[in-house]
Amino acid sequence: MNRRLTAQPCGTSILAAIGRRPLLQFALLAAALLVIAVLPHLGLMRFSTMSIYAYTAIYTVVALGMNILLGFSGLISLGTAGFIGAGALGMGVFLRMGLPFEAAALVVLAISGSVGALIGLFSLKVESIYLAIATLFVGEILRQVYTSVPIFGGEFIRIGAVRLFGVFELNQILQVERSILYAVIVGILFISMVLMHHLVKSRTGRALMAMSRSEHAAQAMGVSLLKYRLIAFVTATLYATAGGILYALYFQSAPTRAWTLNVSLLVIAMVVVGGFKSIVGTFLGAIIIYGLPNLLLKDLLGDISYVFSGALIILVILFYPRGFVYVGHDLRRVVSTLRARARRAP
Amino acid sequence: MSEVRPMTEVRPILELENVTMTFGGLRAVDGLSLTVFEGEIVGLIGPNGAGKTTVFNCVTQFYKQYEGLIRLTKDDGAVDLRDVPVTQVVRHGITRTFQNLDLVPDLSIEDNVLVGAHTRFQTGVLSHLLRTPRARSEEKEMRDRAGEVLDFLGIAHLKDLYVAGQPYGILKKVEIARSLMAEPRLIILDEPAAGLNDQETKALDALIYQIRERYRTTVLLIEHNMALVMNVCDRVCAINFGRFLAMGAPVTIQRNPQVQEAYLGKDEHL
Repeated sequence: MNRRLTAQPCGTSILAAIGRRPLLQFALLAAALLVIAVLPHLGLMRFSTMSIYAYTAIYTVVALGMNILLGFSGLISLGTAGFIGAGALGMGVFLRMGLPFEAAALVVLAISGSVGALIGLFSLKVESIYLAIATLFVGEILRQVYTSVPIFGGEFIRIGAVRLFGVFELNQILQVERSILYAVIVGILFISMVLMHHLVKSRTGRALMAMSRSEHAAQAMGVSLLKYRLIAFVTATLYATAGGILYALYFQSAPTRAWTLNVSLLVIAMVVVGGFKSIVGTFLGAIIIYGLPNLLLKDLLGDISYVFSGALIILVILFYPRGFVYVGHDLRRVVSTLRARARRAP
Repeated sequence: MSEVRPMTEVRPILELENVTMTFGGLRAVDGLSLTVFEGEIVGLIGPNGAGKTTVFNCVTQFYKQYEGLIRLTKDDGAVDLRDVPVTQVVRHGITRTFQNLDLVPDLSIEDNVLVGAHTRFQTGVLSHLLRTPRARSEEKEMRDRAGEVLDFLGIAHLKDLYVAGQPYGILKKVEIARSLMAEPRLIILDEPAAGLNDQETKALDALIYQIRERYRTTVLLIEHNMALVMNVCDRVCAINFGRFLAMGAPVTIQRNPQVQEAYLGKDEHL
C-alpha cells in the first residue's frame, strides 16, 4: 500500500473537493436519482425503468447494513433476505390489521431488531464460515415461515394504497403517485446514507473496526465484543428490514417466496463489488449487480445478461478486491503522476 | 545510569502474589510475586520464553486461569483484578501496548489513537447515529486531545495517514499514543524497543521518562534491550522459566550471577 496514502483525498480539483465532503456526495447522488422520478412523465423513460431504480435504491439500503457487518465489523450474514422479507411481509400483516403505516414500520423494525440482537449474541460463539452457515439457516427458517404460515397469505400479501402520516394516500398504480413513492424511497436512502456515515465516523465505527481488525487491542482499550457485535447485527438487521418496508411501500404487495438465499448473496456481492466500507461504493455495487443487468443488458441480451454480470463480478474481484469504488482512487493517482510528469517535461 | 528515584510516598500500585499460569503441562509463570510502586518505572526481563508476556496477559486479564492474586491499589481501595472483565481493566487505569503491534491498518493514525479514548467517551451509539451536538463536541474534544498526544510523541504531522505501510518506529509510537489516550495510571509496555533502530531506541529512553512525568503514570515494561532497561528503569525484576530470579536496582541485577547465568550461561559476563 502507498505509504503516503491519506485518509482524505487531497488536492484542489472539484472532484477532490467533492471527495472530501461525503454528505455532498450523498446529496448529489440523491439529486441524480430524483431526476429519474420526472423522466417518465416527460416520455423519456418507461415507468417500469423507474421501478428498477427504486429497487436499486432499496437494495442499496439493505447493502449498507451488510457493509456495516462485512466491511466494518468483519462479520457475515447469509440471512439478509429473511429480514427484507420480514420488513415487507410484516408491513403487510400489520397494515391489514389496521395499524397506521409509521406505527407498523416501528413494530416491524422492533421485532426484526430483536431477532438481529439474538443473532449477535449467537455470533460470539461461532465465527466466520460457521456464522455464515448458521445465518444461512436463519434465513431459510424465515423463508419457510413466510410460505407456510397462513397469516402471510400463501403467495403474497396485497397491501394496496398506503397512507403516509395519516394524510397522504399514495397508490402505486397511479403514475404521479408512483413517482412520489419513488422520491420518498430516494429520500430514505439519503437519510440511511447520512446515518451510516455518522455511525462509522464515530467512536462506534472505530470500535467496530478495532473489534474486527485488532481484537486484543480493542479489548484492552475497553471495547466490549458482545456490545459491538450486537450493535453490528442489530444495525444490519434494521437496514435490511427498512429495505423490506420500502419494498412494501413502493410495490404495495409483498410476495412470500421471493426471499431466497439468492437475494442474500446478491446483497453480499453488492458490498464486495461496490466497495468495502464505502457508502457511495455500496450504491455502485447495487447498480452493478442489480441495476445494470436489469436496465441495460436484459433488453440487449435477454437472460444471458446475467452471465455478463457474473463475469463482471469476477473481474472486479480480481482487479479491485476492495471494491469498484476504489477505481476512483487509482484514477486520481494516475492523473496526478501524469500531471507531475508533464510538469517535469521541458 | 539512573539512580533509584527517591519516593516521597511509597505506595504499591500493582501487587502480584504467587502468580502461577499453566498451559497444559507447562508452567509459564511459576509462583511469581512482585510489587510495583506508584510512579516507578519497572522493567521485567528474562530470556526468551521466560514468561514475561504471560505475566502481562495475566495482569491485563487476557488470561484468567492463573493461580494466585493480582491486586491493583486505587485511591478508593484495592481491587482483585481477577474480578475485572478484560474490557474493564482499562477503566481501572491499566493500559498496555502489544509486542507485535495490534493496530487497525485501514484507519488513520489519528483514528487509531482515538480507539484508545474509547472509555473516555460519554456518548453512545444513538447520539453518534444522529450526530447530536454533544456527540460532535465530544468528538472534537477527543480529537484535540489525540492531537496533543501525537504532538508530544512527535508524529502529529502524520495523523491523517493510514497505519498500513507506516514504518515500525512510527507504529510503536501510535501504540503508545493509543494507550495514553485512556489516561492510564499504569502503562504496560511490551517490548517497546523491539524492531527500533539505535537512534529510535535512544530517543525511547527520554520518551519513557517524559511519559511518566507528563502523564503521571507508573510504567511496567518488558524489554530485551539491556541498555534501555539499565537507563530508564528504577528497578528491574528478572525471571527465568517463569520463576522469580532477582529484583532490585538495575546495577544490582546486572551483576547478579544468577541473572548472568540465565542469560549467558555460566562464567560469562553481561
